[in-house]
Amino acid sequence: MAVTRQIHPLDKHLRLERIPTLYCPGCGLGIALGALLRALDKRISEGAINPDKVLWVGGIGCSSRMVFYVNYDAAHVIHGRAIPFALGAVLANPDLLAIVTGGDGDIAGIGGNHLIHAARRNIDMIVLMFTNFVYAMTGGQVAPTTPRGVSTTTTPRGNPEYPVNAVKLVGSLNANYVARASVTTPHYIEQFFYKALGMRGFRFIEVVSTCPEIYGRHIGLRDPVEMYSELRKRIKYKHKPSLEEAEIDWERGIVIGEFVERSNPSLIEILKGVRS
Amino acid sequence: MKKTFASGNMAIAEGALTAGLKFYAGYPITPSSEIMEYLAEKLPEYGGVLIQMEDEIASINAVIGASWAGAKAMTATSGPGFSLMAEAIGLATITETPLVVVNVMRAGPSTGVPTKTSQSDVLQARWMSHGDYIVPIYSPWSVQEAYDLTIKAFNTAELLRTPVVVLSDAVIAHLWEPLTLMERGEVEVISRKTPGDPTGEPYPPYKPDPDLVPPMPLFGRGFKVLVESLIHDERGFYSPRDDGYRSLVKRISLKVLKRLDYVYEQDARFTEDADVLLVSYGSTARSTYLATIELRKQGVKAGFLRLKTLWPLDDDRIRKTSNARKIIVVENNIGKIYLDIDRIFKDREVYPSPVLSLELPTPRDVLEAVEPWL
Amino acid sequence: MEAQPSLLSRTTGKYRVSVVIDRCKECGICIFVCPIKVLVKSSVLNKYGYHPPDPVNIDKCIGCRLCEYNCPDFAIYVEKVV
Repeated sequence: MAVTRQIHPLDKHLRLERIPTLYCPGCGLGIALGALLRALDKRISEGAINPDKVLWVGGIGCSSRMVFYVNYDAAHVIHGRAIPFALGAVLANPDLLAIVTGGDGDIAGIGGNHLIHAARRNIDMIVLMFTNFVYAMTGGQVAPTTPRGVSTTTTPRGNPEYPVNAVKLVGSLNANYVARASVTTPHYIEQFFYKALGMRGFRFIEVVSTCPEIYGRHIGLRDPVEMYSELRKRIKYKHKPSLEEAEIDWERGIVIGEFVERSNPSLIEILKGVRS
Repeated sequence: MKKTFASGNMAIAEGALTAGLKFYAGYPITPSSEIMEYLAEKLPEYGGVLIQMEDEIASINAVIGASWAGAKAMTATSGPGFSLMAEAIGLATITETPLVVVNVMRAGPSTGVPTKTSQSDVLQARWMSHGDYIVPIYSPWSVQEAYDLTIKAFNTAELLRTPVVVLSDAVIAHLWEPLTLMERGEVEVISRKTPGDPTGEPYPPYKPDPDLVPPMPLFGRGFKVLVESLIHDERGFYSPRDDGYRSLVKRISLKVLKRLDYVYEQDARFTEDADVLLVSYGSTARSTYLATIELRKQGVKAGFLRLKTLWPLDDDRIRKTSNARKIIVVENNIGKIYLDIDRIFKDREVYPSPVLSLELPTPRDVLEAVEPWL
Repeated sequence: MEAQPSLLSRTTGKYRVSVVIDRCKECGICIFVCPIKVLVKSSVLNKYGYHPPDPVNIDKCIGCRLCEYNCPDFAIYVEKVV
């Protein structure tokens, strides 16, 4: 039987009956979830957010499953469609604070079109995209973010394609906030998410994560610590970097930071007539 | 009550407004677009929101999200868009989300003939998504009925916490007829049941009442509800075991069948003395009805049965409609509802009479189609 | 009956480090990120067969919480002892 008594400082934010998570040992997603919950906890204890209005929405994939570990209103929907589901919910009840979680496959692959149009609309929601360079839940197939040349179960001769840079993509649209952090920098995940929670409009945070089991082992990183340590070496924090600097490359390095901060009117503000 | 003159598409939009529509998401597609255009003008006046999405997949998923946020929600489309919505209809069935999808049928397969009519999606609408479930389907034959059955579709969706399909077609869509609009209070409008206030204890969002329908804990009210696309238990937790799986898929079908008396509607005429029963539905039934009258003038004891509900069917009621020896199913497709009627009247002579016509089949077309079986 | 989580907890001086034994998956990240090597893999076997860390060098703990912040499983946390 699982631990049900609250003991860890974040336990009040978790559905304890479902802890431990199904994530593999050392999976970066749990680190990220902890950081997100610390930021949310802070906003709630400051009285800025009513926990009853928080809605987590996930599609399909390891990252999307975060939503059923959190003790909030949540929806675990179908692959790639978390963003439109969340959009419908916040338009129908603008008091809701929608937080979408998903992997790079769910958000930028099958759901890529929704990502583009949600950013264009500046619809009020926070999208957290966890990039682990691979389709992990289905066993290690090539993802939109897989670096060129990497062998996966569906690119056994090496990935012949170029990966997507979601930060540049979303930043080129009308999103109010675009940032990137890494699970090796949980304090930045917490800081960026805390800031996003205080904003309106479309907010996008890419969290570079580790998949030690389905990705790390396949690129020669033998255990979670090695994967974590190799990712950490590649992370370069920059203060308010430009979109041009938003490199995400296993060889040349991964730039994290807050790339875009705007205060454009959000779709809900426009529809309500608060701003035009 | 207000008399007006309207098209079928306008009637569907008006029916949705009368039923309490508060959220519409859609994508333009012929011949359904006027529904969205009409609502774009009117829905904000009723305190609702309309958004044109990037595709039909986004539209139906937004409708599901809006429904969980407490809005009566709808989308409308035609064949190609309807096909794109297939997966999310499954999500709506397993999460027991009330919503209405209107499919204004056009000729297919694929792009087909966008501006011309068809009834070829009648079986797709039943089983468009994978898995086991029952989605009620209504099929209007007039502008007035497009209005009435849209209200009924919302009521069914809200009563049974299920997606409901309205199958209109290009003929009904652009047909103009007198329409009587009802005010609130003049027509029954059902809204989903919701639980009382949260108690602090975990709330099981899928625990059914005796009618097999669970009260719906909406987002934002403190229930910490989990909307789950996986097979789940009453708490919404993934439950990949036979007992949980069976009880869920049986319940989401049985809750609809339990109210077959409410869901199933038909229109039977001249059935008392009928030797031959003409079965039809939707726009084609208009001509089939005239053909029935023509046959009676010619001395053939013809009866007429029109299905207003295309799924689920009330087999007993259909069987008891008529003692006719011969039954002919007239429909604008290659013979689909015929399969059900043949099954239901297994001891009688049942014949398919597909008309396959891009325009509304004329009564003469129908007479020609049924003639070989008389 | 409510399940009681078993803790592996050590305190000396300013900080208490607690490990929720049955949540640990032995990934080793906490041990790796600790800047002063407070944590050591223990010989305790939890109910899933993993060895949780033991804050044996708790007296050296500086309370940076890197272990807590980097644990993917809500299995370790640091408290200031007053």
